[in-house]
Amino acid sequence: MTDGLANFKASRSRDAGRVIAHRRAPLTRVWLSIRDGKGFDILVVAIGVAFLAVFAGLPLVYNVLMSFQQVDMFTLNALIRPWAGLANYEAVIKQPEFWLVVRNTVFFTVGSIGGQFILGFALAVFFTQRFPGASIIRGLFLVSWVMPGLAVGAIWSWILAADFGVLNYILKSLGLISENIFWKSDPQFSLLAVTIANIWLGLAFNMLLLSVGLASIPRELYEAAELDGANRWQKFWMVTVPMMRSTIGAVLSLGLIGTLQQFDLFPPLTEGGPANSSMVAQVWAWQQSFRLYDFARGATISVMMLVLVLIASIIYVRSTRAEVRE
Amino acid sequence: MKLGSIGLWAGVALGALIAATPASAQVTLKVWSIDGAQQPGIADTLSKEFDEQNDDIVIEYRVLQFDELVTESTRAIATGQAPDIISFDNPDFALFSSRGAMLDITDRVANSSVIKTDSYYAGPLNSVTWDGKLYGLPKYTDTIGLFYNKDMFRAKGLDPDNPPKTWDELLEAARKLNDPAAGVYGITFSARGNEEGTFQFLPWIQMSGGDYTKVNGPGAVKALELWKTMIDEKLASQDVLSVGQWDSTGFFNNGQAAMAISGPWELNRMSTDAKFDWGVALLPTETEGGKRASALGGFDWGITAQTKHPDEAFRFLEFMYSQEDRFFPEFSSIPARSDIPLPPTGNALKDAALKVFQEQLKYAAPRGPHPEWQKISKAIYDAMQAALTGQVSAQQALDQAQATIEGIVGAS
Repeated sequence: MTDGLANFKASRSRDAGRVIAHRRAPLTRVWLSIRDGKGFDILVVAIGVAFLAVFAGLPLVYNVLMSFQQVDMFTLNALIRPWAGLANYEAVIKQPEFWLVVRNTVFFTVGSIGGQFILGFALAVFFTQRFPGASIIRGLFLVSWVMPGLAVGAIWSWILAADFGVLNYILKSLGLISENIFWKSDPQFSLLAVTIANIWLGLAFNMLLLSVGLASIPRELYEAAELDGANRWQKFWMVTVPMMRSTIGAVLSLGLIGTLQQFDLFPPLTEGGPANSSMVAQVWAWQQSFRLYDFARGATISVMMLVLVLIASIIYVRSTRAEVRE
Repeated sequence: MKLGSIGLWAGVALGALIAATPASAQVTLKVWSIDGAQQPGIADTLSKEFDEQNDDIVIEYRVLQFDELVTESTRAIATGQAPDIISFDNPDFALFSSRGAMLDITDRVANSSVIKTDSYYAGPLNSVTWDGKLYGLPKYTDTIGLFYNKDMFRAKGLDPDNPPKTWDELLEAARKLNDPAAGVYGITFSARGNEEGTFQFLPWIQMSGGDYTKVNGPGAVKALELWKTMIDEKLASQDVLSVGQWDSTGFFNNGQAAMAISGPWELNRMSTDAKFDWGVALLPTETEGGKRASALGGFDWGITAQTKHPDEAFRFLEFMYSQEDRFFPEFSSIPARSDIPLPPTGNALKDAALKVFQEQLKYAAPRGPHPEWQKISKAIYDAMQAALTGQVSAQQALDQAQATIEGIVGAS
């Protein structure tokens, strides 16, 4: 579609150019080109590129640069600093908690995305069924997505409190546990506690995107499948899932990015503790930068994470590209 | 006579000038502090008064959360947008003074007719000194002691006038006071994985003869094992690993813990919240009559090196110094000075507690000062949490901390 528009405009500008351009001043030619020529396309693209370069490119370059430099807290706004080579990377990997953080980050990411996606898909399919109040209830689910992470963290902090928390009370009343679980202070549960809160937080977003994907599947396909004698399960696997492929790709990669960015839940819940048992990379980067004031190490950790996010972005771009082609 | 009339005219002219001066000619001082976030505090209340008393100065006061104070200040200083005056927690002060971010006020203080440095306790003054120069002034000081619920002591057959004196007695008392059926823990404290955790645990290392440069002595190991026993036997909630001192002491005020390790900043809230008879004791020592130590808390004032109004900023510090006799009666904060007698408050529990805290302050040992205190502190609280969650033994944890600390202290 974009190509078509560009071709159309380009051909128009060529025709117009032949008649007028050789007689007009160069400035006017530029203006004309912007008004109804190729220049318009270039201008529109340039604004986007400039915006990205300033607000995404520069901080990114600055961050990557910082990971190769020696940084003091008061040389933060300088660009030229003593070169450190790979020393920061070496220092980060040699930290005793490095592999624990890697393991935790993988658990948190896979657990969060998996939980959000499976529950989100289930809810999305559930709400495609027509029943009274379906749209209202679906709307109410969005509340979790609208709430700021810190507020969600504070609420979950009360729910998960050990001695006087709601969750322990419920589990005890149901007879599932006899002793209180210290969700925030027991190394065996702390990471799980944050993951549960994060699944809840991201559920609505997943459900929403997947609902949109479901709604865009033509009903004729299901009717055709029914005529061919497909049962519900077959319809789901043979029609819904293939038709949702690009949506699923987008949801999963956005989920990965969102989860790796998830920071707000940690301070009110566990702060990465106890004993780093719920420490994930993004919180660790924050701790190095803003608790220990070692900005170079903080930057180094975030560059390591950047590689992961980059992979997710590529998957996302590919999945949406497929959507355009079809 | 003539001089007098000149003075009079000068006064009138000055008055006219001030009256005619538009607001834009006023000097604006930006003051940052954490006071006023939870209850009225020193900096917010007195900034307002200073602003009202001085027509030529406007104070722009900003309340920050404890957790963001250093970060926000660093960001502001790094980008050249520092406020004029900042109040830092004392172990953080060296981070800024050692890097030239604070104004050297040695000469101003020496020439001041208001401020006398020899009125300060040595510890707090030490925290604002770097390389022999004065970069700030202590704001107030505090320390920690053992709060205990006297009603619960009586109910469990313990003598409320004879609180635990040694570590062993503390453990025994916690065991007797512990009452899970009634929802009462024997003791509460904060072993959080941040500076608060170090603040609470370092004194135990110091009581055993160690310090931040020597954390793995046998006494320190014994102290950490004592804490672990309290959590393992459920004499203290396992949530001490994730709650701060303010929330932890809240459990004590609500009657959910029979003892609490905390400081004088609690006195105002406790006076209204705690519906029982309570008292304060010195931190129990390792052995009877053994070495005492306690945390040195409290904040410092500093003028940033970036200020454009050092004279007005210094006047602000002089004003604060002149108001310190109000610190305890109004804000429950103890001035870092030996020349201010603390008047009775009329609240017997509070007055008795204050006497104990003043005694405890004599043994308050500083954290640092060291420009990389935060990393030293992390080594200590990481070790504490690793041992308390049972991941490694107390000895292993503290050995690891010792190695980390030697790397930091040896390197700088």
